[in-house]
Amino acid sequence: MKSRKLTKAIIVLGICLASLQSCKDEALALINEEPIKDIAGTWRVIQITRNGEDLSKRMRFEDFQIEFKNDGSYLVSDALPFIVDGQGAYQLNDPNYPFSLILKPSDEKDALPVKFQFPIVDGERQLSLNLSLGCSSNTYQYTFERVGAAK
Amino acid sequence: MKRLSKHLVYIYLGFGVLVTILLMHCGLKSLTVTVPKTAQVNEVITFLLHSGAEPRIQSGTYTTQLLAGIMVPKSWNARKNLTMNFTSPKGNGAMRIIPDSEIEPVSGLNWHQAAKKMFGIGPNLVDDMDWIIFRSVQSYTFVNNEDIDFTVRATCNVGSENMLVSLGFYVGSSIENLRPEDTDYKKFTFSNAFQVLGGEGDLQDFINPQLGTVQPVKSLDNDLISLTFDAGVTNTVLDKESNIYLYVKALDADGQLLGQELEQNVKTKLQDIGGKRFTIDLWPRGFFNVSKGKQIAKLEYFFTDQTGQKVVGYGNTEEPFKFTFRCD
Repeated sequence: MKSRKLTKAIIVLGICLASLQSCKDEALALINEEPIKDIAGTWRVIQITRNGEDLSKRMRFEDFQIEFKNDGSYLVSDALPFIVDGQGAYQLNDPNYPFSLILKPSDEKDALPVKFQFPIVDGERQLSLNLSLGCSSNTYQYTFERVGAAK
Repeated sequence: MKRLSKHLVYIYLGFGVLVTILLMHCGLKSLTVTVPKTAQVNEVITFLLHSGAEPRIQSGTYTTQLLAGIMVPKSWNARKNLTMNFTSPKGNGAMRIIPDSEIEPVSGLNWHQAAKKMFGIGPNLVDDMDWIIFRSVQSYTFVNNEDIDFTVRATCNVGSENMLVSLGFYVGSSIENLRPEDTDYKKFTFSNAFQVLGGEGDLQDFINPQLGTVQPVKSLDNDLISLTFDAGVTNTVLDKESNIYLYVKALDADGQLLGQELEQNVKTKLQDIGGKRFTIDLWPRGFFNVSKGKQIAKLEYFFTDQTGQKVVGYGNTEEPFKFTFRCD
């Protein structure tokens, strides 16, 4: 009788351990699945807010695009203000968990970090950048959507 | 019998609470201020806040520190430039700014933010203001009917910008915090128009509704700015017009012309945003196609009709509206 109880206890313990192990595997798998954030492609602005006010309804900015190339360079069209213009090099501060996009214009010494988010909206990635263009007291949020496939 | 004695206990308790509320009343007298009408730019001015304490305490004492604050334009940099002290029959005392790290318990904000949330910006229409709150270094203990008057002296440099503004003032008791329902321990008021004269830039009018405004108030030529024409402010030649255009010149720091848009076309047309208001959003560097290395220092502009014949300028005159690009 006692040995049967013991067997049952061992079985239950075994199941518990196995399930724990599987949780661990799953958690590890989840961590491993976090992809490298690839922003290569051409992006166009779909929304700009200034100090929280949405300017999108009044301003036209469909011409403003930024292209991130696979070779680590960027190209900015000049139809809207941005913290850089022309071309330069870009990189994310962390390929898996980026919180800033670092832009280094080719004609300047210093690199400029921009606060970066990469949310998925309606199944598509969006690029969201927080920056100041003139006075530091004015903050802008630029939201982009991808227009071309990654090159 | 048992029930009666139970009721008696409640009655006594209620009476006790009522007596405590009625007797522990230590309010402040209403606040009046002495504010000059004008000052020259960069002049150091002393504002006087007159109030008093009216302690009504039947038993025990009331110990607190005096709070005082003023609301001034951010450009005064009052956090650095403001000093306060007070005079009273209980002694004269120094006051110190309350550090940002100290939280006003009712709002959960620091004292300066809490004061702005509580008192607002009064009759000013443009929110470019800071409330700055000071506290007496010493505590003071009051006994019943120890009525006193006190005067707080707030001394501050009025900055280098021409302006017309209403200033805010507050006195309070440190142990009472900023409770919304309290009217006894917090007294505040706003001054009549105070003008700073003699500076180089344009007059910043915080008080009067403006025909033309620029947002954000502090901007550079690489910001996105919004120029708004408010046709509801006063009657102008553009009253019946539904199409309003911008006539604008961009100047550098030496007053040299960097660019201009004088035609009535799609680029210069304002959008009707309702309420008789029209606005145009623009990126000055792109709008005037300013080359790298050049900076727009100021804009001079008018609002016109579609023909360009009907023109409205600053204060409904023939003078242009002026906007100077600058940060804090």
